[in-house]
Amino acid sequence: MGILKSKGFIVSKQKENRLTWWMGGILMAFLLLLTFSIYGANRPIGASTYVPYLAGVIFDLDPEKYSYLKEVKNAGSWEGIMLLGALFGGFVTSVFITKTFRLSFIPSGWKQYKNNSVLSRLLWSFFSGFILILGARLAGGCTSGHFMSGMSQLAMSSMVFGGVVIVTLIITGRLFYNIKE
Amino acid sequence: MIFLTYMSDIAQGVKVMFENVINQPHGSLGLVFLIGVMFGGIIQYTRVDKFEKIAGFAMLKDTIVPKMLFLTVGLASIALYFLMDAGLAHAHIKPLNYQGLIIGGILFGIGMAILGKCPGTGPISIAEGRIDVLVASIGGLFGGLVFILFFDDFFKPLMGESYGKTTLFNFFQDKELTVLIFGLVVIAIALLIPKLELCDKEEDCS
Repeated sequence: MGILKSKGFIVSKQKENRLTWWMGGILMAFLLLLTFSIYGANRPIGASTYVPYLAGVIFDLDPEKYSYLKEVKNAGSWEGIMLLGALFGGFVTSVFITKTFRLSFIPSGWKQYKNNSVLSRLLWSFFSGFILILGARLAGGCTSGHFMSGMSQLAMSSMVFGGVVIVTLIITGRLFYNIKE
Repeated sequence: MIFLTYMSDIAQGVKVMFENVINQPHGSLGLVFLIGVMFGGIIQYTRVDKFEKIAGFAMLKDTIVPKMLFLTVGLASIALYFLMDAGLAHAHIKPLNYQGLIIGGILFGIGMAILGKCPGTGPISIAEGRIDVLVASIGGLFGGLVFILFFDDFFKPLMGESYGKTTLFNFFQDKELTVLIFGLVVIAIALLIPKLELCDKEEDCS
């Protein structure tokens, strides 16, 4: 009885420890508006320009020698600071609120629909991280910059990007994972 | 010795990053950091940084991410229009260069399906202890490096010509009606997508 009770408690606690999609959507809309407004940052939210910017720092490239580094100087450093905040916010939330912090190598969905190999997951992660950033930079934005910030301004570029991404995502999901169990 | 020089170069680079933010008119250092904290907090608290959410959507077994994203866009588009109309926000439209958007979108979609993250949710996953995503971020940094090194000769021509910073407003006369219909349709999409969840067997199956 005691065990049942405590189990029930854990389940209900887990349910409480996650925001619903609509609550998340409303909060994210407010954050987007705050960032856009002149009382906030007077710019959109973006989350992929920081990668080449930090690559320039880590690979010790001279910003004056590369035209792309000059181009992303402002946006990249802005997103770099936002990234530090996001890492901090994500860490604190995972440790104290959702209590989901733990070191792991393979997500359970990968085990279920792909394989149990750590090496396979890490190699595919490296590869997918590589093309994810090349793709985002070619398109000039990602889920944050195009899908959220761009589509909220009714931008045609962001709708083209969003459409291509959703179609490619679903085709890749179908081909890459063993979805028929 | 080389290592020490390298570390001091990195420290210098990070210092310049902070100075760049202080010197540009896009919010104080503290505010930009706080925007990041809220961004990370919302994403972690809704658990949309999980592999099961984005890869789950790719497998059409989870629809939390599109529901949340469409709701955000629908609500924000209407509010943002009136903020801009009142002069309290400004437009930041990305150019319509089909080649870059389509080739980039395809690479991005493949990467997103396999990794189960986007560049915004990836760092939050690292912050909750996902080593695989940390490895992906190294891949991403190499992607960034390749992009910088071959930008002028390869990637910039590949992005193709821009057809301007077009929005839906370029095609319709009545701006208010356009944004209201757009916003309401997008909110309706968010509500109408059937709610599917791929459960993470190691975390919660509620």
